[in-house]
Amino acid sequence: MSENKSIKFEIVTPERVLLKEQILSVSVPTTSGEVTILPDHIPLISILKPGVLEIHLVNGEISLMSVSGGFLEVLKNKIVILADTAEKAEELDEERIKNARLKAEEMRTSEKFKDDVEFADLAVRLEKELAREHTLNKWRKLKGFKKE
Amino acid sequence: MAKTKEISRRIKSVANTKKITRAMEMVAAAKMRKALEAVLKTRTYANLSWETVLRLAKLSQAQSEPLHRLLTKRKKINRVAIIVITSNRGLCGGFNSALIAKIKESIVRHPVKTDFILVGRKGTPLYGLPNTEVAAEFSKEDILTSISEIAPIGKMAASDYLSRKYDKVLVAYTDFISASSQIARVKQILPVDLNVDEYLGVASSNPKIGVTKEMITEKSNEHLAVEQGKYEFVFEPSPRAVLDKIIPRLLEIQLYQAFLESNASEHSARMSAMHQATEAASDMVAELTLFYNKARQAGITAEIAEISAGANALAE
Repeated sequence: MSENKSIKFEIVTPERVLLKEQILSVSVPTTSGEVTILPDHIPLISILKPGVLEIHLVNGEISLMSVSGGFLEVLKNKIVILADTAEKAEELDEERIKNARLKAEEMRTSEKFKDDVEFADLAVRLEKELAREHTLNKWRKLKGFKKE
Repeated sequence: MAKTKEISRRIKSVANTKKITRAMEMVAAAKMRKALEAVLKTRTYANLSWETVLRLAKLSQAQSEPLHRLLTKRKKINRVAIIVITSNRGLCGGFNSALIAKIKESIVRHPVKTDFILVGRKGTPLYGLPNTEVAAEFSKEDILTSISEIAPIGKMAASDYLSRKYDKVLVAYTDFISASSQIARVKQILPVDLNVDEYLGVASSNPKIGVTKEMITEKSNEHLAVEQGKYEFVFEPSPRAVLDKIIPRLLEIQLYQAFLESNASEHSARMSAMHQATEAASDMVAELTLFYNKARQAGITAEIAEISAGANALAE
């Protein structure tokens, strides 16, 4: 365990800066599997896929975020995530996600899409919503355990 | 009397114009606020991603073999493309003419065959310039809502660059510095080149707004240098797969940011132009009112003189 070592972390989307602070470690879903980055990681560039981002903050808390894709850049003691979209778990709205996912699923099964492009679009949307749902579930679990 | 009537008609007309320009000023101010918000929101992301691109470019330069075709500089420049971002509407002061003057200046300085990719309706003065051609004209929405709206332009630029139709792609846009100052700028986006690096944002080295070459060098020295300027980067899954995805995307973001900057600049240019017009109209009304009063006074004096002359004639 690296108790006192921390690393600069920054996650931004085109809309906003979600988090910019020192952290202990972060787990990131990339196209080649989930990676966990600890301080002193070698420089790395990778592509994100939709999924859950798990950030271990310096104060011992865990922050969860849902990302829908983007890039991860690890520099010497600095992590930058350029996400297409990202939300903190506590901001996610279950009702909305469920509806969006059901809608996407429905559209995909109804075979109403015009071409491959649209199909791919739907598949991506579905994946994003699933990632959001997953994030929310994980967060609930985390909070539930903490309360006990 | 005829003269006063004419003047009062003119006063009315100027006052009406003033109402219009004032309304336009207010509309532009509201739009500017929105556009500005959009620019500021994306700036951090755009700057960070531009940093990444430049870092990759630097890495590519340091290696014997270039990392990606979009990062490779070509020795011979046969044809360049300039993406020109203008406004759809006029009445925005020197906004478009400053940009076009800047483009002409850059053409004179680099006399190679140039193709224009026009975005927005006010790029028409660029038709028919010697040694140039207009390759495409895209329409522009007044409000840019998502990055996907400009994706076709970015794709066209990247694919034409890769197919060797162009050896350089530049973007001409207007940088938003503040409500009262905007700078027309021509920036090279392809190939990504550290040495001609111009950054979105401001000509100052304000780290909040722009990224400079020095900052990149400093940062990469801080974060990347392993030993003696040697850089090491791991790409997952592979350099090709990563760069194929990352570079076009990052270019798109640069383009998007250029559009947002241009939009914010356009609205603030219009706002100040309309503000000036309103002020000029006020001055004009004041001047005309003075004339009107003088003419009226002259009329009354003349009438009194006439009456008293008549009375005098009768008294005799």
